[in-house]
Amino acid sequence: MTLNEAQIQDLYAFTRNHYVEHYDLQTELVDHLANDIEGMWKENPKLSFEDAKQSAFKKFGIFGFMEAIEQRQKVMGKRYRNYFWRELKQWFRLPQILTTLGLFCLYYVTFSSSYVAVFAFSFYVLIGAWCIYKGIQLNRQFRRRKERSKKKWMLEEMIYKQAGAITLVFMSQLFNVFNITDKFVENIYHVLGLAVLFTLLTLCNYISFQLIPDKAEDLLNETYPEFCL
Amino acid sequence: MSNSKLYKGSLNTIILKLLNEQDKMYGYEITQKVKALTKGELNITEGALYPALHKLEAEGLLDVEVAKVDNRLRKYYKLTETGTKETANKLNELAEYIKTMQALVSPKLA
Repeated sequence: MTLNEAQIQDLYAFTRNHYVEHYDLQTELVDHLANDIEGMWKENPKLSFEDAKQSAFKKFGIFGFMEAIEQRQKVMGKRYRNYFWRELKQWFRLPQILTTLGLFCLYYVTFSSSYVAVFAFSFYVLIGAWCIYKGIQLNRQFRRRKERSKKKWMLEEMIYKQAGAITLVFMSQLFNVFNITDKFVENIYHVLGLAVLFTLLTLCNYISFQLIPDKAEDLLNETYPEFCL
Repeated sequence: MSNSKLYKGSLNTIILKLLNEQDKMYGYEITQKVKALTKGELNITEGALYPALHKLEAEGLLDVEVAKVDNRLRKYYKLTETGTKETANKLNELAEYIKTMQALVSPKLA
């Protein structure tokens, strides 16, 4: 006795109700539960689908699907970071390194002037505003994708919803731009350090808010080749 | 694993060893295979199996493929080239561990 289509869909809903939101993990767990239920039916054909389902779920232990979800998140987080580093490294190789150097020079020259505080504040606000704008735009795109496909992939959610999480932490540490004094330009290391930080901040934000989302389809196909997206 | 915490550290080795012999397997199949091989002595719990499989996949030791079976999708795991090499290393480590434990708990047999 095998499960029918309605029962399979019921298992998908069951995993969703137990906080498994992503299709890749849902599919694996649905097949597991289905196999277990069918195994139980071989021994006891009178067992109801509902009782068999609960019995199969209990075997996952007191934390249910949580351990599987957490491990999957770790795996996908690592994958996302790998894609991020792969992109970042490109900006330190030819030809992109020329843009990186240009950006650094722009920051260095402006931060060497006596208007350093004004420039630092302006760049900070400019980058912050662009990040907020892109964040809202990506969130909308993600909602539209989800409505279209009716499926959610863990990496897709990271690309669209968690873009900039790394740089938000980074930006929160740069709040000292509000306390820059006139003496700042007297120390060349301070100016160099600030120019490096702003260059990295710009690159990181551009990668996570623009480049990675632009390559979302390719990255999803690379991550989930088995599902042929 | 419900039977004993002693098996816990060997879960990855068990999975790799089974995949080394079976070409490709899916999660439920692994639990049933272990149960059958150990005559029910060892039960791999589902809560431990999937995190272990996903970790091995992330480490590049396992590759995955999805096939439609009956009316649902099934995810199969198989060893990568690195996974095959790592299986041999893990089995050697396990054999060494068993030898050491034997020397400790029953010196006459060692």
